[in-house]
Amino acid sequence: MTQMLGLPVLMAVFLCALVTALATGLGAIPFAFMRGLAPRAVAFANAIAAGLMLGASLGLLAEGVRHDPARTFVGAAGGVAFILLTQRLLGEREIEFASLSGQGARRTLLLMIVMTVHSFAEGAAVGVSFGGGETLGIAITVALAIHNIPEGLAITAAMRPRGVPLLACALWSIVSSLPQPLTALPAFLLVERVREALPYGLGFAAGAMVYMVLIELLPEAYHAAEGRSIATLAGFTTIAMLLFQQYL
Amino acid sequence: MHPGTLLALSLAAALAAAPGSLLGSRPWMASQGVGWATATAAGFMLGIGYVLLSTGQAIGPATTLLGAAVGVGLMRVADGVPGAPRSGSDIARVSAPPPTAFGLILGTTLHSAAEGLAIGAAAAAESSLAAYLLLTFAIHNVSEGAVLGAALTARQWRAGAAAVRAVLARSTQPLTAVATLLLLRAAPPLLPWCLGAGFGALFYLIVAELLPQSYRYVGRTGIALVVSLAAGMVALMGGTP
Repeated sequence: MTQMLGLPVLMAVFLCALVTALATGLGAIPFAFMRGLAPRAVAFANAIAAGLMLGASLGLLAEGVRHDPARTFVGAAGGVAFILLTQRLLGEREIEFASLSGQGARRTLLLMIVMTVHSFAEGAAVGVSFGGGETLGIAITVALAIHNIPEGLAITAAMRPRGVPLLACALWSIVSSLPQPLTALPAFLLVERVREALPYGLGFAAGAMVYMVLIELLPEAYHAAEGRSIATLAGFTTIAMLLFQQYL
Repeated sequence: MHPGTLLALSLAAALAAAPGSLLGSRPWMASQGVGWATATAAGFMLGIGYVLLSTGQAIGPATTLLGAAVGVGLMRVADGVPGAPRSGSDIARVSAPPPTAFGLILGTTLHSAAEGLAIGAAAAAESSLAAYLLLTFAIHNVSEGAVLGAALTARQWRAGAAAVRAVLARSTQPLTAVATLLLLRAAPPLLPWCLGAGFGALFYLIVAELLPQSYRYVGRTGIALVVSLAAGMVALMGGTP
């Protein structure tokens, strides 16, 4: 594979991962028009992000199982372990999305660290998914780009009330996702050169994303909206993502 | 799976609501055990949902996904009826008037019917899958019976009457399961639709009820880990060619 999306393949993978990072900056846009965001709107954004990531994970798992089921599930366990270990290293401090406003700078910094570390796994997901083909790669790029917008919202919601300019909020949001283009390329090269690594990589990305949905997005969503609304939004978004992958 | 076997196992799973209801009237029921059991059931259901989805997509990708949308929609409509079962967090959040007896019966009947559809579709696809799913529904019925039992005893119902009511609320589950299995035997082209609808119904149930219940009793790290592991185990056993 030398060309992808009409570009040299490495350039295409890097640019797609860069797009997902830049999308994080879009999370600052709502704050150009308002001082804060209704908790219910944040909950719905998290539900949509959860649905997209679950749909993307199902696509990654299906592709991995096609290659080697056992290696895919070993990889998935590795993805879960990676996020769990990251959490432990960060002192088990989980993001309290809805209560960010008015918290101290230390909390904002912690949020940035958590987001940045998560980004390494997300970048690997983009790179690995392109190893499974252009269609899968684009689907995962779109899912992660949309997922990153609420992350940008979280960072901006923490910084903006403390007087940080809007542009700086957007830039800090993008900085938190910069590991994505940096890890996408090595991950892609690994699964391209060592094809046996592909199911491990696909499983890793799926496991990490499912675990992030369970530990971060859904609990945050339940804070401000009913379970039935969250389930409806996340369910239809998952199905839309699966249709998108099927017929892209 | 033979329809008679499916009916017997489904009835056994529905009966699990009775001990759940009796336990629900005891204060110590609001313990971590409920959270862990519910999370395990959610993980198993997620894994089974994945297997239903991948089995359906191998037969008809578009019809399976459309069926999944129908499954989610059906559960949402059933949950919109006053009296449909709610997760603990929703009970606390929604300040709706208490449902009428008709609302309670209609809500729980529709809700259980959608769950029965998932069981019937799983039985048509693979017997072992249906057995796993019935086990998870038995666990789910215990916790759902506990919620209903707690609500009814708070309204001065006797514990025995509340337990009977809890089992009756689940009675459409086995009936719909068998009806779905018989329908799929008569009209096999409907299989991807039903597999998709089963996935959609399970997905909705997990996200709308099981996860909020689990997070309420246990911290999110433990729940996320249990759900991931249980889902992975079932998906590995049932989803590999």
